[in-house]
Amino acid sequence: MAVILIVEDDVFIRQVAEMMIQGWGHHTLSAGDVDEALSLLRSPQHIDALFTDIYLKTEVHGGCDLAHQAIKLRPNLRVLYTTGNSVTDKLKTLFVEGMHFLRKPYTQLQLQDSVEDLLAA
Amino acid sequence: MAGSDISREKKALSDIAASDIVETVPSALIILDRNLNITSANRAFYQTFRTSADKTEGCHIYDLGNRQWDIPALRSLLESVIPHRASVEGFEVEHDFPTIGRRTMLVNARKIFRPGDNDGSILLAIEDVSEERAARNESKRNWQLTQSIVDTIRDPLVVLENDMTIVTANKAFLTIFAITEVEVRGRRFSDLGQHQWDVPALRHLMEKVLPENRPIESFEIEDNFPGLGRRVFNLNARKISQPGNHAHRMLLVFEDITDRKQRERDALSLTNEISHRIKNNLQIIVGLIAFEAKWTAAPCVQGYKAMQARIGAIAQLYDLISQSSRGQTVAVDAYLREITKTMSASLLGNTSGIKIEVKAEALHIDPDRAVPFGLLVNELATNAVKHAFPGGRGRVVLSVERAGDQMELTVADDGVGIKDQDLTKIPEKRGSDYVAIFVRQLGGTIVPSGSEGTGTIVRIRLPLLLAPSGGAELAAA
Repeated sequence: MAVILIVEDDVFIRQVAEMMIQGWGHHTLSAGDVDEALSLLRSPQHIDALFTDIYLKTEVHGGCDLAHQAIKLRPNLRVLYTTGNSVTDKLKTLFVEGMHFLRKPYTQLQLQDSVEDLLAA
Repeated sequence: MAGSDISREKKALSDIAASDIVETVPSALIILDRNLNITSANRAFYQTFRTSADKTEGCHIYDLGNRQWDIPALRSLLESVIPHRASVEGFEVEHDFPTIGRRTMLVNARKIFRPGDNDGSILLAIEDVSEERAARNESKRNWQLTQSIVDTIRDPLVVLENDMTIVTANKAFLTIFAITEVEVRGRRFSDLGQHQWDVPALRHLMEKVLPENRPIESFEIEDNFPGLGRRVFNLNARKISQPGNHAHRMLLVFEDITDRKQRERDALSLTNEISHRIKNNLQIIVGLIAFEAKWTAAPCVQGYKAMQARIGAIAQLYDLISQSSRGQTVAVDAYLREITKTMSASLLGNTSGIKIEVKAEALHIDPDRAVPFGLLVNELATNAVKHAFPGGRGRVVLSVERAGDQMELTVADDGVGIKDQDLTKIPEKRGSDYVAIFVRQLGGTIVPSGSEGTGTIVRIRLPLLLAPSGGAELAAA
């Protein structure tokens, strides 16, 4: 089973995602913003994947910035982005290589498929 | 050619008298002796000045007509031709001639030698360039007029030569970019400022404006400009022809769209912010449903999943409406594909043997009607997925086509079909009153449809809410 770091500024959405992912047997860590997430990423805690919202609090592309810093800290980290906003070509240029994407609102089944694809990649 | 032939040809040429040649030359020619007395003139001279040989030959050049050639500067030049072997080239005389009126003459002179004339003579060629000069002056006046008009244009602009050097710039350009006319003239456009305009893509386009007569429309450049700060300019260029001149030049206009771009960015930022909040709220609803589904008996779970798919359809529609410009229409085919994608992911998953396909004409729908339309499609397709394939394998086809002044939505599956062949009651029979509600909302009707082979077909006719393309009809809707 994998360890997945969930970064989402909306507490309810984050907890529902945690509940879903834990229900499939994975271990979860959670953060509400970029700084909290980086603290966990800099710690010795084992993390297999990062599941992050792109729009974090006031940072429109906070999740993109976080993913870039996360990959520098942990080059083998897998990244799954989520956002309710349109994914423009300009936004795509901010994505890290080999990332996965899940559009909001996502259902339990969609999240499950995305997490499975992410961990199988 | 044999040697004898060449000799014969040379003799034939020498037989043509110099006087014959002089008589055929269109320029007025006169021969002056060392004292500047006229010894002879050609026919063109007499015709040009409407005079005759007896009034001309023997006269001193300065005494001709009303002494029009008695000009200090010309005198100085002519009087140095014989002693100093000098020549006069392109001396322009504008004068009111007694016989032909005001004309502009171009005078050329050089020393010549004739047999038996050891002192030498002067061959004076006089060309009437009045029309050419008038055209040039007219052109200059036109250019000045153009320049004065150009200077009143508020957008900065420059005129460029073929080699991209600047011919002129209007006042707005000089003012905005704080540069003088002397500094811009003759300078390469790409060398201006801090090379902000030296952009390969722009250079490539500019190189095609004159040779291929291909204008540049709306090329955006955003950069920091000294004294201006960060600015966005929209560049437009086209080929222009200067009156009286066959040379072509390029007119390059700079539209400062910084404020407009900022407004667009602010609007986009607001849209993104709203979209983020709406999607998060929808995500919360989906999460609440997921919570409920977790503790609900298995037979009810499908209902919760269908609810999640409906929410997904609304979210997709919101995205499509956001992507289309304000007041415009939603592309039905793209919309159906997005709904299909969402449904496949939420209802079927990656491993399902059921596929949903879209066959749609390039029709458009207005955003107000797109919501019930999308929910209608979602409902029918969900019904098909839920009921038609007990074996877990099959195909659902969503199609939309124009049928006269109506549009027809068809949802067809190749599943097990239904036992009750009263197809007009299919939607209600298949578990949802939503279909009837949406059809009523759209002002449509469910078309009685026979079973074609296996499976079920549901056809719904709707008033032409859709335009073939663009949406002109919808504008009035």
